[in-house]
Amino acid sequence: MTAVHQFVPALLPRDATGDHTRALRDALRAAGWESDIYVEAAHDELQDEATYFEEYPSRARPGDVLLYQLGTSSPVAEFLLGRDEPLVLDYHNVTPESYYEGWEEHTAAKVALAREQVAALAPHAVLGIADSAFNARELEELGCRATAVVPILVDDEVVHGAVDPAERARLAADHGDATVLLFVGRISPNKSHQRLVEALWVYRRLYDPAARLHLVGPAVTPSYAEAVFAFADELGLSDAVRHAEGLTKAELAAWYEDGDVFVCLSEHEGFCIPLLEAMGAGTPIVALDAGAVGETLADAGILLPEARPATVAAAVDRIRRDDDLAAWLADAGRRRLEDFAAATTRQRFVDVLAGVVGREPVVA
Amino acid sequence: MADRIRYLDEVMAEIDAEVRRRRASGDLPAGLERELDELFLEFSPVGLQGRARLRETLSLVDGSAYVDIAVPTASNKAVGSYIKRAVRKGLGWYMNFIVAQIVKFAWSVSRMFHVVVDHIEDLEAAVDAHRSPDLPAALQPSASDGASWWAPAAAEALAGVRERVVVADCGDASLVESLLAAGVDAYGVDPSDLALEPALDRGVDVRAEGVLDHLDVVADEMLGGIVLTGSVQWLRPNERERLLDLVSTRLAVDGTLVLHSASPGAWAASAPAVVRDLAPGHPLHPETWAHLLGGRGFAVASTIAGGEDRRLAHVGDADADADAGTVNAVIDAINDLLLGPTEYLVVATRER
Repeated sequence: MTAVHQFVPALLPRDATGDHTRALRDALRAAGWESDIYVEAAHDELQDEATYFEEYPSRARPGDVLLYQLGTSSPVAEFLLGRDEPLVLDYHNVTPESYYEGWEEHTAAKVALAREQVAALAPHAVLGIADSAFNARELEELGCRATAVVPILVDDEVVHGAVDPAERARLAADHGDATVLLFVGRISPNKSHQRLVEALWVYRRLYDPAARLHLVGPAVTPSYAEAVFAFADELGLSDAVRHAEGLTKAELAAWYEDGDVFVCLSEHEGFCIPLLEAMGAGTPIVALDAGAVGETLADAGILLPEARPATVAAAVDRIRRDDDLAAWLADAGRRRLEDFAAATTRQRFVDVLAGVVGREPVVA
Repeated sequence: MADRIRYLDEVMAEIDAEVRRRRASGDLPAGLERELDELFLEFSPVGLQGRARLRETLSLVDGSAYVDIAVPTASNKAVGSYIKRAVRKGLGWYMNFIVAQIVKFAWSVSRMFHVVVDHIEDLEAAVDAHRSPDLPAALQPSASDGASWWAPAAAEALAGVRERVVVADCGDASLVESLLAAGVDAYGVDPSDLALEPALDRGVDVRAEGVLDHLDVVADEMLGGIVLTGSVQWLRPNERERLLDLVSTRLAVDGTLVLHSASPGAWAASAPAVVRDLAPGHPLHPETWAHLLGGRGFAVASTIAGGEDRRLAHVGDADADADAGTVNAVIDAINDLLLGPTEYLVVATRER
């Protein structure tokens, strides 16, 4: 039987790569292929679904294809470089180290190592699957001989899931009629949270003095998060900037629904799943055209050529003043979301991998 | 699809117009956004520059050079605390032996960094002693001018560019307005708030910042054209390298670069003495720009000489009269040094 086994550094619940890996395993099994997940580490909740990667050699069988979920550095990369089976990369992008330099040197070193591993693996892969053309270009530039763009498998429960009514009511009571700018994503320098704070400050000054900024996501770079919140305090925005993390899917859905405009000013994104989540919630989107954001968003939001706070504030105001535009954007978002339907993406993965099964490994 | 994109383009144009209106009305003082950026840097280790950054990092090294062997023994369970105390007591001699060596090593490393930082600060002080003072503001290079000889050539080079075009050191933005009138989606930047005031009063889209700071925050391949003039002639070598790096990434492939400069000979002959003495850099020859741009994937489409031209005509018939030949050679030398075209324009296209 054909087998496509996945390798991933860490298998975590409520994590984009973890959810994607498990959904893809289910899709491959549904297509009649064997598929297991090998990891460097797995969360307690998912121990039954994962096997330590160094156990793979004892289970290897002729004809296996190995698929690596690549988004961070890991000893798994070195392990796969030493294997003879055909290797497929599923590349989710690695943030350039320059974003972390000065903020968190050990993270800068970790992502630098990850990019070295991408460069080493790319020429060995029979195929590089990328979430976006932006990511595919990176793989091609590193010597990957064949690439295919297939979006990440997105959890339907988040994109179309139920909203926690208690959280919805709590949020509504908290801010009343004030405009809410929302961003969801790790608090990390490449996401430019300070620009969101600047935009809020200008928006309050020009359009709505009671406006709020809701930030959802873990503070994975603590020194950067501290600087962002200290900056907000200095501008007198400590009560206007709310931060949440560790939300359930239903609570997260409530935060999306509560936002008047989803504002993404990230300078580097390999795909940006929160854009899809905002589309699912019908929240109009304003985003900086950087990395793969423009590609993911297409015509389903207002794409800004620059992250100037005055421009961002004017874009948010344009949406707030014009219900027709807000509805048009929400509708465009829902239409765009259909391009990422899980069933379509699952089939696309199977089709792409079907072209690889049985191929000889690449000798770089 | 095309209708949807057209609609979004219209919305974006309205947003740009709103920003221009707010700037012109004084709701958004020139320089406000730069002040916000600078304020954030005060909270950022990235914002610490040079000596302060070195000292900040050194204090982190010092702070982590001590290793505490007194492991916390608190526990939510009574037995847990007891076990932790027992482990700490039992392993204390062993940990102490290892940690003493680690701390000794860490302090040696810290000491070495202190020596290196002291040495670097001595070097910086020595370099500072050779640094030129800033040019007086009154002697800064003149800003772009819509009525200048090269404005029509710049407009012609940028005709048909669909993406945004930035004019550096735009001054009163008359060149920006000329380009807008020609159908180019242009805006300007200039570090002088004062110079921008007339443009802001007229509602032109201009920002109070230097071209390097501005290009730093523009996303890659976002611009269809860049017009460089003014300070581009005076940049220090490292600033010029940075500018070229930014231009070659912010400009889209097939984008157009228009560069206006004084010619080095004319500058050496006619610039005020204070400017010549204190300018951090000096104008380059057009061939040098072509060389530098070629190394970054640009192809120079044209080089146009202009400005004041007071060249002397040749005398006599050099073929028949040896003296006339000698005089004409001197005239050529004088023309080249003092009287030739005082400025030039380089038009280049980004090819890759």
